[in-house]
Amino acid sequence: MSTSELLIPLHVSYIQKLGENKDDLTYHLTSHLRLNAVYWGLTALAIMGRQDALDRNEMIEFVMSCWDEEAGGFGAHPGHDAHLLATLSGIQILVMQDAMERLDVDRVAKFILSLQQPSGVFAGDAYGEIDTRFLYCAVNALSLLGRLGDLDVKKTVGYIKSCRNFDGGFGASIGAESHAAQVFVCVAALAILGRLDEVDVDTLGWWLAERQLPNGGLNGRPEKLEDVCYSFWVLSALSILKKVPWIDAEKLTAFILSAQDPEGGGIADRPGDMVDVFHTIFGVAGLSILGYPGLVDLDPVYCMPAEVIEAKGLRKDWQALPRREK
Amino acid sequence: MHGVKRVKPTPQALEARKQKERSKIQEFLALSEDILQRKKDNDFSEDAFKQTTRLLHVNPEFYTVWNYRRTILVKGLSVNRTEEEINKLLADELVMTMAALKSHPKVYWIWNHRRWCLERVPNGPGAEGEDTANGWKKSAWDQELYVVEKLLDADARNFLAWNYRRYVLAGMPVPRPDTLELAYTSKKIQANFSNFSAWHQRSKEFDLVRNAMYTDPDDQSVWVYHRWLVGTRASRGLLEREIEAIDELLGEQPDSKWCMESIVHYSVMLLKDHAAEVDVEQLTEKTRRLLGELEVQDPFRRQRYRELGEILAVLLS
Repeated sequence: MSTSELLIPLHVSYIQKLGENKDDLTYHLTSHLRLNAVYWGLTALAIMGRQDALDRNEMIEFVMSCWDEEAGGFGAHPGHDAHLLATLSGIQILVMQDAMERLDVDRVAKFILSLQQPSGVFAGDAYGEIDTRFLYCAVNALSLLGRLGDLDVKKTVGYIKSCRNFDGGFGASIGAESHAAQVFVCVAALAILGRLDEVDVDTLGWWLAERQLPNGGLNGRPEKLEDVCYSFWVLSALSILKKVPWIDAEKLTAFILSAQDPEGGGIADRPGDMVDVFHTIFGVAGLSILGYPGLVDLDPVYCMPAEVIEAKGLRKDWQALPRREK
Repeated sequence: MHGVKRVKPTPQALEARKQKERSKIQEFLALSEDILQRKKDNDFSEDAFKQTTRLLHVNPEFYTVWNYRRTILVKGLSVNRTEEEINKLLADELVMTMAALKSHPKVYWIWNHRRWCLERVPNGPGAEGEDTANGWKKSAWDQELYVVEKLLDADARNFLAWNYRRYVLAGMPVPRPDTLELAYTSKKIQANFSNFSAWHQRSKEFDLVRNAMYTDPDDQSVWVYHRWLVGTRASRGLLEREIEAIDELLGEQPDSKWCMESIVHYSVMLLKDHAAEVDVEQLTEKTRRLLGELEVQDPFRRQRYRELGEILAVLLS
């Protein structure tokens, strides 16, 4: 099969089969990402218009089996400790499956808020690793829970501000080098908090546009290799800044499509590499922002279907490319 | 999965691999189950600790097991121990995480565990006021810089290692002079000019940047850094000096996108902030010509160049 088009039926069946790989060692070695993987798979299906391809009840029961009763958050897998990374995925799945009544909102909001540090950043769990990724997880989750009102916004924004670098980008912590994925988490958190005035749009837009390489793909930092996942990290930030036209959409679309596995389905980091669900969602998400025909609109701030976010009244002022006709 | 080539195995090869993996999977699942059960039972024994070592060796991403390991260290292994024994315990942890980082330099959880251990190294055997008073702590933190340098030798762009380096420098019991850090980043930059991570670590310096521009005008790390050095509110003199230097380079490299883009940027700054002191007409004409050239040389970003042209038009109206 040719990779000049998005092979939707093949990707749907690839995602459906992910849970059947129990005789594969890699499946077991990635249990620490299981709940994230379910969120990636579900979101990819929703953007391809096939949310029905995985059983809703089974998924909700799995999410609830990852609940860590002692901490009051979700772990990545039954029996694993609660962590913000898994907690956000759990909440996102419940929102997308319209099953928020299953969640103890007070408890989980309390868990999330307890992880904010005096500097304004969030730790991922009680063991104290800090990162702007966790700050985004907290802000996104609290927003979905309708509990942003309990957050110290000034302190939170203050930390993001102190991570801003001379190139307009943001890093993982104060003083850390700009990286496209950290740019996404910081810009999206500022969008949710209504504080995009903290972004130097011209400088950051320039830096993001320079992430595109001659083969059309995007990298995450200067002088690094392209990778499909940056299609989302860079494009989401560009769409929040309303600068998606600053890169060549046609060339990037062709690059993402060329990283598909035309036999087994799924998308890889680069053409010819092994596929995984992480690159599959971020490839599909990138294509949605680029206006690829037939896809559902993705909200780049929350990385969920735009319709779901609009229904909750949470839509921010971002701009993707218009959806093209086939 | 990053950078792993896709191969389509024959059905026979696939079956053979599954056969081979079957026992490994069983062993791994049995070990995971044993550990999660012990964790539930609040087992803080030496045995439980050894099990976590075995599992983390196979899968250093299993964050719950790192958490449990720390709980065992606190609630089990360090109970009723002398400071010296605790120092030894943590030193062993540092050795263990070093080995793990060698094979998995980008696993956040290992770096995290290392931080946790480092912060708990006791001060030292001597009484307060003596040289040895914080001897253990000092030598542990000093050792960390050496460890990070080893990892940066292997991959000079590993941002987890650079983040850790900053963390160590900020927390050292005896702070290291800034000049030493500057010397280190200079060495890293000279080894490879496109090492943006090292550029990032240092403060202002025009000469080094100019040198790097001439060595490799296609290297964007240098241009981004240069723009920061110039800043957002530069004097006319500085802007004209830098434009002149880049003009000269453009003369030698007439297709250089970065030369053109930078001259455009600094010219727009001149027109915005110093219009009364420059030849507006000539500068505008030159900027327009370069923007037109950029649309041809760098078509991916043509829309950005068009928008810059529009800004120019608004500026002049």
